[in-house]
Amino acid sequence: MSSPVLVRPAGDGGATVVAVLPGAHVLRDLSAGASLADHRRHTPAPPTLSLADLLVRVRAVDVRGRGGAGFPFATKLEAVAGAGRRREVVVNLSEGEPVSFKDAALGLTRPHLVLDGAVLVARALGCRVVHVVLPGERAGVAAAVRRAVDECGREDTRTRWRLHRAEGRFVAGQAHAVVELMSGRPNLPVTAWQPVALHGYHGRPTLLSNAETFAHVAVLAGEHRAAYAATGTAEEPGTRLLTLDGHGERPTVTEVAHGTPWEELLTDEALDSPVLVGGYHGTWAAAGALRGLTVSRTGMASAGLSLGAGVVLPLSDGDCPVHRTAAIVSYLAAQSARRCGPCRHGLPALADAMHATDRGIDRSARARALVDLVTGRGACAHPDGTARTVASMLARFGDEVAAHASGDCTYRRSSIVADGRVAGGSR
Amino acid sequence: MSTRLRVDWPSCKGRGLCFEVLPELISLDEWDYPVVHGDVPDDLLGLAREAARTCPTLALRLVPC
Repeated sequence: MSSPVLVRPAGDGGATVVAVLPGAHVLRDLSAGASLADHRRHTPAPPTLSLADLLVRVRAVDVRGRGGAGFPFATKLEAVAGAGRRREVVVNLSEGEPVSFKDAALGLTRPHLVLDGAVLVARALGCRVVHVVLPGERAGVAAAVRRAVDECGREDTRTRWRLHRAEGRFVAGQAHAVVELMSGRPNLPVTAWQPVALHGYHGRPTLLSNAETFAHVAVLAGEHRAAYAATGTAEEPGTRLLTLDGHGERPTVTEVAHGTPWEELLTDEALDSPVLVGGYHGTWAAAGALRGLTVSRTGMASAGLSLGAGVVLPLSDGDCPVHRTAAIVSYLAAQSARRCGPCRHGLPALADAMHATDRGIDRSARARALVDLVTGRGACAHPDGTARTVASMLARFGDEVAAHASGDCTYRRSSIVADGRVAGGSR
Repeated sequence: MSTRLRVDWPSCKGRGLCFEVLPELISLDEWDYPVVHGDVPDDLLGLAREAARTCPTLALRLVPC
């Protein structure tokens, strides 16, 4: 296997280095370079496909949105096309999630594949304008994509590009927050009376998709589409990008065929640790639970898990799921836009309950009540996602919550003293 | 077709007037924000409309579901 490409999402001075592994389709030809000239050496300019042709191709492999919700792309495309009037296409590179780097990796290594996909979709929908939403928190990615868009503008004068820079906030990449940003309003979620596909930018039907989704669409329009369709399983053809948290080291972005066993992706140490799957809005897998499962929507769903936006966070040795969840909920509470009452008040209360539980004062019943109270009661899914992570921790690590309540932490192999500090160290 | 009360959460300031008009369907959480219990039955449609009209921030809407 060829060596990984190292990128810095925050720019040259950024501390975080992400290893991007060369892959079969979306992450192929990484070593060729990211410029348009490099890209065109192995990938011809996208063909002009009719909407019907494009629908056939994306339906054949059931392309799903890669922003986390996994909505069928063909259904979204049809909804936008069927809503008539003037349509809009938006490429969303605002990941928001601090532990996800897959869209950053695409923006830094294969921006032109993403833009090819967007041009293709725009032409099929009869749009001349493509909007690109850059991540606010990752200056390196924003600069790389800006450069790529400049190059595109010189190659293809038919498409006009509009760049927008999202804020560096967790909820900034949410679809309605992105439309707000594009419309010149604060980059915050608002109540969705209708989906963006029907009523988005300027009230027009808007095809807003995650950067990775457009990259897959570009592959499907190209010469490697048969090979792409032959990858994965019969039920879920193709591949997806995952961000594997580095188990303390640098994160890795990798392209994985659907159906790949987790044993091929994670070390034994990681497989035998609790793993947070799907990121900070994800679900916890108990130690060893990923053994025997595969990277697929259906396979994960059977175990009550979801890949979400593809973040895989194994706990490192000595870290505790109760403790980690409390820290994550604190972070998510601070990331609330603070505009919806239940989120603004409920998430800090949930964080308090989790920290108390971690310190040995069992507030799990309070946490469960708050999970029910905040779910479904916000303009965006931020409270729902936060509640999901807590609920899965409580469901899978009830024994550990009980251990904390009796003064012990199994993972940190220590006892918890009454004032909340962990004492004792290794036994 | 049944009807549901939906809250525009960023607009809702937790004044609680909806609860006063329609306690049959709305309770208040510990921060005084409304909790809507289920769809609106036909016999409560009139009161539901009044609750939506009464909201000082116009944060409550009747939507088909």
